[in-house]
Amino acid sequence: MKARLLFATLLVAVLAAAGCSSSDDGGSQSGTGGSKTLTVWLMDGSAPDKLVADLNTEFQAAHSGVKVTYAKQQWNGIQDKLTTALASNNPPDVIELGNTQTAKFASSGALADLTGKVSDLGGQNWLKAMTESGAWQGKQYGVPFYAANRVVIYRTDLFSKAGVSAPTSLDQWISDGQKLAAANKSNGRFMPLYLPGQNWYFLSSLIWDQGGDLAVKNGDTWKGALDTQQAQAGIADYKQLFDSLSKAPADTDEATPQQFQVMAKGNIGMMIGLPWELNSAVGETPSLKSKLGAFPIPSHTAGKTAPVFLGGSNLAVSAGSKQQDLAYEWLKLLAGEKYQTRLAKENGVLPNSTTLAATALGDDPVLGAMAKGAEDGRITPNDPTWAAVEATPNPIKDMLTKILSGKASAADAAAEANNLITQKMAGS
Amino acid sequence: MSRTDLGTRPAPRRTGGLRAGPTTRKRLTRGLLNLAGVVTLLAFAFPVYWMFATAFKPSRDILTYTPRLLPWPPTLEHFQQAVSRPHFGDFLRNSLLVTLSAVLLSLVIATLAALAVGRFDFRGRKSYLLLVLVVQMAPFEALLIPFFFMLRQLDLLNQLPALVLIYFIFTMPFTIWTLRGFVVGVPRELEEAAMVDGCTRMQAFRRVVFPLLAPGLVATSIFAFVTAWNEFLYAFVFMRDPDKFTLPVWIASFRTAFGDDWGATMAASSLFTLPVLVFFLAIHRRLASGLTAGAVKG
Amino acid sequence: MGRAPAGVDPATAPAPSHGPAPGGPRRAVGATRRLPYLLVVPSLAAFVALLGYPLYQVVRISLLKLDLGELIRRETVFVGLANYRSILTDRFFWTVALRTVLFTVVCVTLTMVIATLVALLLERLGPGLRLAVEISLVLTWAMPALTATVVWQWLFDTQFGVVNWLLTTLGVGAFEGHSWFATGLSTFAVITIIVVWQAIPFVAITLYAGLTAIPRELREAMRVDGASPWRSFWSLILPVLKPLFMVTCFLSIIWDFKVFTQVWLVRQGGPNRQTVTLSVYAYQEGIATSHFGRAAAISVTMVVLLLAALVFYIRLMLRTQEDL
Repeated sequence: MKARLLFATLLVAVLAAAGCSSSDDGGSQSGTGGSKTLTVWLMDGSAPDKLVADLNTEFQAAHSGVKVTYAKQQWNGIQDKLTTALASNNPPDVIELGNTQTAKFASSGALADLTGKVSDLGGQNWLKAMTESGAWQGKQYGVPFYAANRVVIYRTDLFSKAGVSAPTSLDQWISDGQKLAAANKSNGRFMPLYLPGQNWYFLSSLIWDQGGDLAVKNGDTWKGALDTQQAQAGIADYKQLFDSLSKAPADTDEATPQQFQVMAKGNIGMMIGLPWELNSAVGETPSLKSKLGAFPIPSHTAGKTAPVFLGGSNLAVSAGSKQQDLAYEWLKLLAGEKYQTRLAKENGVLPNSTTLAATALGDDPVLGAMAKGAEDGRITPNDPTWAAVEATPNPIKDMLTKILSGKASAADAAAEANNLITQKMAGS
Repeated sequence: MSRTDLGTRPAPRRTGGLRAGPTTRKRLTRGLLNLAGVVTLLAFAFPVYWMFATAFKPSRDILTYTPRLLPWPPTLEHFQQAVSRPHFGDFLRNSLLVTLSAVLLSLVIATLAALAVGRFDFRGRKSYLLLVLVVQMAPFEALLIPFFFMLRQLDLLNQLPALVLIYFIFTMPFTIWTLRGFVVGVPRELEEAAMVDGCTRMQAFRRVVFPLLAPGLVATSIFAFVTAWNEFLYAFVFMRDPDKFTLPVWIASFRTAFGDDWGATMAASSLFTLPVLVFFLAIHRRLASGLTAGAVKG
Repeated sequence: MGRAPAGVDPATAPAPSHGPAPGGPRRAVGATRRLPYLLVVPSLAAFVALLGYPLYQVVRISLLKLDLGELIRRETVFVGLANYRSILTDRFFWTVALRTVLFTVVCVTLTMVIATLVALLLERLGPGLRLAVEISLVLTWAMPALTATVVWQWLFDTQFGVVNWLLTTLGVGAFEGHSWFATGLSTFAVITIIVVWQAIPFVAITLYAGLTAIPRELREAMRVDGASPWRSFWSLILPVLKPLFMVTCFLSIIWDFKVFTQVWLVRQGGPNRQTVTLSVYAYQEGIATSHFGRAAAISVTMVVLLLAALVFYIRLMLRTQEDL
């Protein structure tokens, strides 16, 4: 009897499934009765829901008969999803791409060429590194959406108790950290700086600061550049910071566990992170609210800040979009001054335009520190093959772990990582 | 595979190694058995418990230098957050529909096939069984792109029935294999008696064999259920509209570029696991008897 | 649940020692000759339509250069066996293949041994404790792989892990700040624990169900004859459960050989690629880097390797079918 009941339920379920799906079809297909549907994909966390809703209302008012379908996508698994979506018969019209992902999709012909629209979009004011990340072989495919870069988030209360202030050079940073450690000796868990072994974005900063790079292009081929004298100096800086100020594991990155969770426990003086991580730490331990500040990553040259990796996203119109003009109009609205200003304020990110940054971020000290660092923003080698280097197993991370845990010399580990980078960028 | 050393050693050690008075020995054996039971229970239950406990912990207690065994004070915050995600209702409905439909389809078609291979010796039977075995070796992650080509051609991308078909074909080989054993377990005499009474072959199947297969059907359905219920990749990649995803996508959605919300992930996973437990408890007695009958036969 | 373990249904209980099985296939005669074919047609059609095409595509794609560009521009670029050549000449591939085989052997052996012990134990426990163990087994099985892996990673975490805390507190050693993921072997140990832990419930419950079906009289008879538990396991339990061992072992081999989620989530094949298994290799070399042709070639190679390894096993399994 039970089995029969189960079967009846299952049967109803199947019929219901069939019914539901057929009724759904009508809604999601475009072009019924003269109205058009524009499909827009943004990543989870990129823009507040309210902002997108407002933008869509404005857009739909200006384009009667157009309906915007907005779908928020998760980063987890996004590459498979974008790949199949862009290869499907009706790809989404506007998509967001991570800035290190853009070259790969641009070079494959998945994105519409927007070179002719750059000045219409105010491209002369875009953040340089972001503009570069959206370009491929002299053409512009990606339009900078927003960016963010790492700053040093620190405990203002512990700093003033130890009698130190925000450092302006690498050496001062280390000596400040040591003073901080001395002032907190009684706390066995205390570490002045939480620096896990695999924060390769931060390593990039240090390498760039020494005048090196991760990889260099020689003619048509890329080659890993971690064995250069400059890069080795950057690696040595990382090791010095790690050895003298941090007790974090050598074999994890800043996300496992999330470093803001560690900082929220109250035993950490500084961490190198993005502004949202400060907010998240406060979210876990509200009493930290008035005790956290930020300063740009100091350079080894006193008084300067180190170059930073500009993380962020680009917007693009898919090459297969059947409504390229409408898609462009929507993109233009989001990349324009009005919504960029709101985005910067509401999400605490850098807007795409340098002229907007100053006004949009106001006098928030943390965002100010980020904007200051962003003046020397860089990106990883802009090539479709770079994504393969970043994809796990990231040879730079493995190299760091080996060096910091003493399993290999900096020169040997760098040589091995270099080979892997060269090999991966050969695209085989 | 070293089939010969499977679990042979410890058994005698546990009961045979002690030479004492019969009652003392018995009591000692019982004590040791219970101890082993408790150790097994802890080994399996602890990580599961940790999931439930974490779901009730305030965020800042999730990672602590000294572990907090009890979620104290407990909070429902993570559950509220998980359930209040937009489209949660849609996800739940989709998951139920897709999973149950796939399981039903799989059971119906597999039952027919199981009757054939369990009751008849026909030409090609062995090849068919071989096919059913070998098909289970296909790595399903690798079929993503091929399935994509197929769905694109059929215009089935972003359609829930596509997921039903995929989960159905993922679970069918296993279901055929197991159900076949159950069919063999049903005495042929019962069926023949029915045919003597004037039933046709199919009527005999329907009236005699089928009711006796019920435990087997229920037992195999739990395997199919767990498989389809947990599938993430295909659901995430092939569905597009925000209201067409399934619960595994919901669970993964608490891990974002802006930090992982572990409290909500654990709360969602706890809720996600419950239907399986309920299902198991409901069929518990039949599962044991059913599985055995089928499996011992083959 | 009642004391009588899993009520042995007289209709479905096997009769291992009473001659041929009651059911079993027979050569069909007359009008019913077509029936078996009609019965397998739906499933066969489903195989061909739903799996045949994708499988054909995998093989076809494995002969193509199919990167992101070709996929999006819908180009077909035949490269013959180039994908296979590049894999088979990659020394790392062979390391990974060997590693995967070893990993599978360890996981399956552990799974089968522990599951057998758990099944034997379940049969001897009191009803309360037994139900508790059973529920914990089912929950273990039902827990999403993602969640299970995350929880285990927390337990083994360097700074906040329960394992390190426990070992330090119990005085086993100074495990504070010990990293379980520093070496390949140690990471593999953690992965093995996770995989085996989640694989045991299926096998244990199945074997336990098999045990309960062995008629009590048979066992009583053996005990009266003075047979040791050791002997009764060998001469009674093992032969009866043999087909069951074979099926669960076969499925375990397939599953552990292909397992991806747990291995990937723990350290994405790290440290330093030392826990890359074949499925992770296929993902990293193929899907993640958008070389779909190569990904397909790796998958085909995987299946061929698995088939080659299991050819005897499959023959054995098919032969046991003959007895029915």
